[in-house]
Amino acid sequence: MPTEQVLPLELIDKCVGSKIWVLMNGEFVGKLLGFDDYVNMVLEDVTEIEPGVGKQHLPKLLLNGNNICMMIPGGEGEDVWEE
Amino acid sequence: MSMQERDPKLENGPEPTADSDDPSAFLGEITGQVVTVKLNTGIVFTGNLNSVDGYMNIALEGCREYVDGNYRGSLGDTFIRGNNVEYVSRGKSEHLRG
Repeated sequence: MPTEQVLPLELIDKCVGSKIWVLMNGEFVGKLLGFDDYVNMVLEDVTEIEPGVGKQHLPKLLLNGNNICMMIPGGEGEDVWEE
Repeated sequence: MSMQERDPKLENGPEPTADSDDPSAFLGEITGQVVTVKLNTGIVFTGNLNSVDGYMNIALEGCREYVDGNYRGSLGDTFIRGNNVEYVSRGKSEHLRG
């Protein structure tokens, strides 16, 4: 039985300032600078991974929260699928 | 009518604030700069960001369209409805050809 509950948005709030891995249609790995109530996010130093297309670097972007499936703190997304 | 002279009474969505590095502050920071906008369909537009509102509706000047990274044409001044936007990125994406 858990003694301490961490709400989903609290978890994301703890990630502000550190790397995060975002899964949607494609994937994004970058430093989370901020987010709003819709979980639209500002990411910095981003790698966009498009399935079947490849990777590209983007310096800073605003990501629409509407299509986000999953967010993983740590941002090791570039390494997990390698091999 | 130039794109600068917008009716201030138009509904602009949630009011942008600029207190930190949150989404609305970023939108204020990049207006007037060259941006790359990617839609959910994968189509990419670049141009000078004239304005954005809280719905992520976007007005682009000198808009260029890219499909699968290839240049498809110049569209001039465009309006992009915010619900189609996947991201707005500062600068021009390096993967675009032409």
